[in-house]
Amino acid sequence: MTGKSVLLLGLCAQLALPAFADGSAIDRVLDEHVLPGYRGFAQESAVLAGTAAKQCSSTDAGLRESFHSSFDAWIRVSHLRFGPSEVEDRAFALAFWPDTKGKTPKALRNLILNSDPVVESREEFRQVSIAGRGFHALEFMLYDPEFAELGEPDYRCALIRAITADIAESAAAILADWEGGHADLMRTAGSNDTYQSQQEALKRIFTALTTGLQFTSEARLGRPLGTFERPRPKRSEARRSGRSLNHVILSLESARDLSALLSDRTPELDAALSAALIQAGQIDDPIFAGVSDPRGRFEVEALQQSIDHVRQILTDETGPRLGLAAGFNLLDGD
Amino acid sequence: MADRRTFLTGILAAALCPRPTWADVGSPKYLAAARMPDGGFVLAGLTGDGVAIFRIPLPGRGHAAAAHPSRPEAVAFARRPGTYAIVLDCLSGRPRLQIEAPRGRHFYGHGAFSADGSLLFTTENDFDTSRGMVGIWDAADGYARAGEMSSGGIGPHDVQLMPDRRTLVVANGGIETHPDSGRAKLNLPAMRPNLSYLDPSGGIVDQIELKPEFGRNSIRHLAVGQDGTVAIALQWQGDLSRQPPLLGVHLQGGPVNLLAAPSEDHVRMQGYAGSIAFSGDRRNVAITSPRGGVLQVFGTEDGSYEGQLQEVDVCGISHSEAGFVFTTGTGLVAGITGLSEVWKVRHDCQWDNHLVAVA
Repeated sequence: MTGKSVLLLGLCAQLALPAFADGSAIDRVLDEHVLPGYRGFAQESAVLAGTAAKQCSSTDAGLRESFHSSFDAWIRVSHLRFGPSEVEDRAFALAFWPDTKGKTPKALRNLILNSDPVVESREEFRQVSIAGRGFHALEFMLYDPEFAELGEPDYRCALIRAITADIAESAAAILADWEGGHADLMRTAGSNDTYQSQQEALKRIFTALTTGLQFTSEARLGRPLGTFERPRPKRSEARRSGRSLNHVILSLESARDLSALLSDRTPELDAALSAALIQAGQIDDPIFAGVSDPRGRFEVEALQQSIDHVRQILTDETGPRLGLAAGFNLLDGD
Repeated sequence: MADRRTFLTGILAAALCPRPTWADVGSPKYLAAARMPDGGFVLAGLTGDGVAIFRIPLPGRGHAAAAHPSRPEAVAFARRPGTYAIVLDCLSGRPRLQIEAPRGRHFYGHGAFSADGSLLFTTENDFDTSRGMVGIWDAADGYARAGEMSSGGIGPHDVQLMPDRRTLVVANGGIETHPDSGRAKLNLPAMRPNLSYLDPSGGIVDQIELKPEFGRNSIRHLAVGQDGTVAIALQWQGDLSRQPPLLGVHLQGGPVNLLAAPSEDHVRMQGYAGSIAFSGDRRNVAITSPRGGVLQVFGTEDGSYEGQLQEVDVCGISHSEAGFVFTTGTGLVAGITGLSEVWKVRHDCQWDNHLVAVA
C-alpha cells in the first residue's frame, strides 16, 4: 500500500500543474465569491421582506422589483449547495424546483382556502411544506392569475409577507453559518473532520461548480426542451415572472467567476464560458417559449451544447489540473 | 405443446450439438464493464484470479450485467438512462441481440435472471408517470417482452433473485429522473426510497422504508446471502455533515439494521456507497466508496466494523471463496482475505461500477 501511495503521489505531482492548488484558492473563493454572494443575498432578501411588510399587493412594482433582485441574488449562489445551505433543507425551502408534481400551487391553495393561521407566526410557517415556501411559491403569488384572486386579499397579503420573511430568515441563517464557522472549516481544512484535507475542500467547491452547470444544462434547459417530438415550454423555470433565460445567464456568470478564482491558467475554459454567455445573450426568448418551433429550439439546444462543452473541459482538464482525481467511478454517481 | 416431430428433432439436436455452458468459455467467475484506453467500452469475463478471458465490445458505457445461470450468455445494461441492453454470446464473443426498452421507458442498469434462466427481469423507469417498473423478458424466446410489474416505488435500481429461487428483491432508490433532464434528480426533498420483495406475479411480499430522518438515503445496490439476508448499499442525498449510515442488513419480515464505521472512518465514505457484497464465507459484508477511495468490511454476525482498505476509485465488489474481489476505475482487480490484499492484476482499462458474479 505505502509503496503504491508514494508512486501515485509522484504521478499526481507530475501530471497536475496546479495553478493554485493550495489554501490560497480556498481563501480566494470564500472571500471573493461565497461570502460576498451570500452577503448580497441576505441583504436583498431583507429588502424583499421589508418591502412586503409595507406593500403586499401582488401587482406592486416595488415588491416585484425586490422579488427579482433577491431571486437574482439567490441564483448567483444557488450552486453552492453544501454546508450551510443544506442545513434544515434551507436551499430547497428557498427554491423548490423542478416541481414535477405541481406541489407548490397545491400547497398554496391549501393554505389560502383554509385560511391557515400558520402565516401569523414565523416559527410555524417554517413547518410548512418546502413546496409552499421560497421564491417559486412567491412567484405564484405575484404572477399567477389564479393566485391573484384566490381567497381573501388580507390572507394573500399575510401569506406574501410570511413567504418573504421566511426567505429573509433562511438567507440570514445561511450567511450566519458561513461567517460563524463553515468558512473557517474550509480555511483550516486538514485540521478538522469536515474537511480532512485542502484537497477535499477544493473538491467540494469544484463539485459545486460542475453540479451547478449540470443543473443548468439538464434541468433549466433540458426540462423545457423535452424531446423534439414533445417540447415542454411550460416547464421552463420561473417562466411566470419571465426569469428562465436570466437564470441560465446568472448561473453561467457565477460559474465564470468561480472558475477564475479556482485557477488562472484556463484559457480554453474561459473561452468556452464566454462563448456560452454570448450565445445566451443572443437568445431573444426569456422563457424558452420558442422550443416548440425548430429555430427557437435550435438556439436553446446550441446553448445547451455549449454548456456541456464547458462541463467537459472542467472534468477533463480543469479538475485534473487542480490535482482533483477525475475518477471514472467517482464521478458516476450511480 | 410440442408435436412428436419437434420433440425428436429436439432430442437429436441436443445430442448432436450439446448446449454450450460457461465452462466452454473458460468458466469466468465474474463479469464487469469497462472503458478501454481507446475510449471504447467492453464487457469482460474475469477468472477467479482476475485474468480477463474475454472482452466483448459494447456500443456505449455499461453499468452492470446479468449472467445467465447456465448458458454462456450475459446481458450488459447501458448506463442510466439507457434504453437498450445487449445480450452477449460469450462463446462467439459477439452480441446476439439487443433488447430495447418499451416506449416511454428506460433501463436503470441492472437486471436479474430467474433461477431456471427462462426469464430476465429488468428495472425500468416509466418516466412520464415516474413509476418504477420491473420488465419481464422471455430469455427462452429471443428476449421478447413477456410482461411487467410495479417495482413498488420510484427509481428502482438493483434487482436480485432471492435464495427461494422465486422472490425478487428490488432497491427502489426513490429518486425521480426524466430522460429529458438527463441524470438530474427531480424530487430530492420528497424522496422516499424502499426495499421491496416481489413474488413472481408482482405482489409485494414485504416492503421496508428507512426511518424518516434517513428518507434521503437512496437504497441503490443489493447483496443477497444464501440464508436470505439482504444487504443494502445507500447513497446519501442530504446534508453531508449528518453522516448517516450507508449500509443496512435486512431479513424479510424484520427491521433494517443500519451499520456504520466509527466516525473517523465513516466520513471517508463521503455519503456514498457504490457497491456491496457478502464474502464467500458469508461472515463479512463489504461496501465500497469511489468518492473516498475506501472499502469497508463489517461482520455479518454482530455488525462489527472490521476495518477499511484504501484504493483509488474502488467500486466493483463481489465474493470470492476466501473473501472478496474488487475492481477500480484505475484498472485494478484484486482479491482480499480479511483486509489483506492477497493478489492483484492490473489491467489497461477503467473498470466500471460493478463486478457481477457468474453463478
